[in-house]
Amino acid sequence: MVTVHLEPDGEVIELANTKSVLAVLNRLKVRSTMVIVARDGELLTPDRKLHMGDTLLVRKVTSAG
Amino acid sequence: MKCSRCKKLACVALPSHNAGFCPECFPLFFTRQVETAIRREKMFTLDERILVALSGGKDSLALMLELKLQGYNVTGLHIDLGIPDSSWKARKKVEDFCEKNELQLQVFEMEKWGLPICDVKEFVDRPVCAVCGKLKRHIFNKVALEGGYDALATGHNLDDEVARLFANTLRWDTAYLSDQGPVLPASGGFVRKVKPLFRLSEFETANYAFLKGIEIHSDPCPYSSGASFTNHKQLWGELEYRSPGQKFQFYNGFLQRGKQAFAALEKEIGADVKPCEECGSPTSVGRCSICRIKESVATKKAAAQAGK
Ligand SMILES: [Zn+2]
Ligand SMILES: [Zn+2]
Repeated sequence: MVTVHLEPDGEVIELANTKSVLAVLNRLKVRSTMVIVARDGELLTPDRKLHMGDTLLVRKVTSAG
Repeated sequence: MKCSRCKKLACVALPSHNAGFCPECFPLFFTRQVETAIRREKMFTLDERILVALSGGKDSLALMLELKLQGYNVTGLHIDLGIPDSSWKARKKVEDFCEKNELQLQVFEMEKWGLPICDVKEFVDRPVCAVCGKLKRHIFNKVALEGGYDALATGHNLDDEVARLFANTLRWDTAYLSDQGPVLPASGGFVRKVKPLFRLSEFETANYAFLKGIEIHSDPCPYSSGASFTNHKQLWGELEYRSPGQKFQFYNGFLQRGKQAFAALEKEIGADVKPCEECGSPTSVGRCSICRIKESVATKKAAAQAGK
């Protein structure tokens, strides 16, 4: 399981069988240049591998105003 | 993925540049893009005084910090819109950021000026976002002129510019298409306006802000749905995914080959601009729309209070 914190919505979801950042983005149906992804304060590129129990921040880059 | 510059582990992948960067090299890439924008478009020099519009969003704060780091003489201007339960948060964020980074800041209060945006919402029969945008542009220009600044810089990024150009192209708004661009020279009561982040996407600014510890989360305006621009941005996000670099090509192609044609057309059919009879701001209609809005709100507000 990977725990994903979605911003700015503030939603938290759990995903199974997502072994890379790209897999998470595909499950969320977002393109890699429309969100930033971080784990423990470190930005990740889409090719980075994920591990069981990882917590990710996925933040949309489009500002609302 | 490895950093294109130093071969360490990359933290940001940029398909449009066919590159990736590590946490040390990405800010250098960002700095180069801003330097190139300022130099190629002749935005301003190190001797000039720049007023930077600070909304509190990541783009404006990133711009302010970056210009300061590049040694420019910058002062921030935040407009406190006077929206209950909302404006103070944006203001506090800007104030804290400027204090932390030792940046000069000026705050303009709409309420003290006699026109908080909550009054606009209540008493003006037009979409509040359009009027608010007009008022903000008016005030940025006014403060820049009165303070003797050489240029007004805003944090508009490539996605903002493309979304706006796209919207104006869909409507073939010739007035707008004739003077859109990263630099608008000073003319007849308008200060020079510059957009040093126009070469950088929203994604690139977001990464920069994250790496520089700029708090990205900002509360959306309670009066705005933000819908149409966000839709266009989504659409362009998809186009950019399919052919990386498309956004910049669309915008740059317009600047190189489209804009002059609209400028020539607008010279023939556009309205003449003169100083407003009341406040002196440039307008094409005797008394400017800002002065008319102010008067109408004052009248309606007085009537509403008398009726209570
Ligand atoms: Zn590097
Ligand atoms: Zn006026």
